[in-house]
Amino acid sequence: MTALLEAEGIAKHYPVRQGLIRAKTVGTVRAVDGVSFSVRKGETLALVGESGCGKSTTARLVLRLIEPSAGHVRFDGVDITTLDRAALRAFRRRAQIVFQDPYASLNPRFTVAETLREPLEVHGIGDGRSRKARVEELLSLVGLAPYHAARYGHEFSGGQRQRIGIARALAAGPDLVVCDEPVSALDVSIQAQVVNLLRDLQRRLGLAYLFIAHDLAVVKHVADRVAVMYLGRIVEVAEKNELFRNPRHPYTRALLAAIPHPDPARRGRIVPLGGDLPSPLNPPSGCRFRTRCPFAQEICAKEDPALEDGVACHFRDELPPAGLDFSGGLAPNAARRLALFAEAGRRQGTP
Amino acid sequence: MTTATEAPRKPSVLRMLLRDVGGTISLVLVVLILLVALVAPWISPRDPYETDLLAIMQPPNEIYWLGTDGQGRDILARMLYGLRVTLAMGLASLIIGGVIGAVVGFCAAFYRRADGTLMRLMDILLSFPAILFGLALAAIFGPGETSVVIALSIATIPLMARIVRGSALVVMGLDYIEAARAIGMSDARLIWRHLAPNCLSAIFVFSTLRLGQVILLGSALSFLGLGAQPPLAELGAMAAQGRNFLFIAPHISVIPSVGIFVIVLAFNLLGDALRDALDPRLRI
Repeated sequence: MTALLEAEGIAKHYPVRQGLIRAKTVGTVRAVDGVSFSVRKGETLALVGESGCGKSTTARLVLRLIEPSAGHVRFDGVDITTLDRAALRAFRRRAQIVFQDPYASLNPRFTVAETLREPLEVHGIGDGRSRKARVEELLSLVGLAPYHAARYGHEFSGGQRQRIGIARALAAGPDLVVCDEPVSALDVSIQAQVVNLLRDLQRRLGLAYLFIAHDLAVVKHVADRVAVMYLGRIVEVAEKNELFRNPRHPYTRALLAAIPHPDPARRGRIVPLGGDLPSPLNPPSGCRFRTRCPFAQEICAKEDPALEDGVACHFRDELPPAGLDFSGGLAPNAARRLALFAEAGRRQGTP
Repeated sequence: MTTATEAPRKPSVLRMLLRDVGGTISLVLVVLILLVALVAPWISPRDPYETDLLAIMQPPNEIYWLGTDGQGRDILARMLYGLRVTLAMGLASLIIGGVIGAVVGFCAAFYRRADGTLMRLMDILLSFPAILFGLALAAIFGPGETSVVIALSIATIPLMARIVRGSALVVMGLDYIEAARAIGMSDARLIWRHLAPNCLSAIFVFSTLRLGQVILLGSALSFLGLGAQPPLAELGAMAAQGRNFLFIAPHISVIPSVGIFVIVLAFNLLGDALRDALDPRLRI
């Protein structure tokens, strides 16, 4: 398995300036601070974490929609952080993005056909007739009908708009699609449809996904591997089942423990996290999680633990076993949703 | 699986405009004004520059519907021709200033590095009153319509730049702009196809309001003798010529003034109504 996308120590720092005439930098917001991961061909890597931890910034960095402050992103072995204009365009053909908000992601003045044709026009793919055919093909690929092409975005529901957004991302035939919380703005029943659509498309087109989410039920359904982010860093990476069965980083455990549990006997063994997410303007010294970590020791304030063996923690091998099996008992709510996903998948079949 | 539901079409802007009394009145007035200005040479009862010294300062009567001025020229004819000059000056300065201002505004919103510099430049322009520009330009190039148009264009640039920058910044924050970037299109295509069309409603509303103001300012400059020069018929200049006879024959000044008032009112009302009609929150 070769890595399609490789991020190596990418960071995004936003300087905070003050002063009217000669602005002085008074601080730095470390939105993303040295993140490394890889996505293999045809695989789904889920990036999870609470809001403000830098997930979306990471998504935009790997697509070079914003310029990284440090680090490299390699796509198919080529460093995209140094590409010139023409090469960047070629890269954009192969890596696309699906957005969270289906209402803001479509230009209100475009018909669906115009929206889907645009990537083809920009990259000079096909001529007038073949583009028309491609638009119809894309629509059927995402479960819409050819007659939808002439309509405007506002004539669709949220789920249908999200399908259009997915079709746009697929138009130029990408290998990687970054999904930035693609279902979190949708109703639960629609979530199931869209998640299953994404999985189906992955199987058929061999897509790789970088799947940003904060909803663990969705992650459990779509991901092959999971990376957990906290305050601009990755704290744990693992195969999905491994992560849910045996979370190793204290933060991952807290995250999983926050899922309400159906069995009262199993509740309350893990103390829920206290405090708030520290400001990325002034992150804690050493390990970033130490201010909220129940296992923090002196060393945690001094040394920054590296991501080794999939976990960034000084006590990665010494922590007591999690004592919780998160793979089975999900909250009744989440379990119902998973069942719903599976059922919707069966009903959908292969369109 | 996905059943296509027929969403109701958004009501057109025109229909939204006609729902409002002020909108209807102002739209009818504006269309009428533009139409009259367009066909003035054909409907004018006589030559606006023809003097009849036997019939000076006549109040409105059956031969001269709006009376005659100090040189016995037909005020109705002069009003019709003056309307053309006044509107042309207003439109020219609105278009020139508006286009430059819009380009500056889009650049400031799109190229954030240039934003500070561009907007401070606009602030400098904004700090001079339009009348002062008119005075300065009349001193440099001599009084005339060109000076007025240049002065009013310059005065319009920073206002349009601010409006466009503001609405462009809002649109820039939306996901479809980011999607367009991710597709890999050029900046020019992105601005032209995605950014500008979605800022149009703000531009339209402001242009309509500004046209009224520009016409008023142009007439004021002409009234001060810095704009249209006699014998050219222009509403502001006509009002100025009549002021010496204000107590003997008030209609010479009053009629062009009322003309200016109606034009400015019509454009301002239309601007207000257009703002309401284009506001998506009010759409049902």
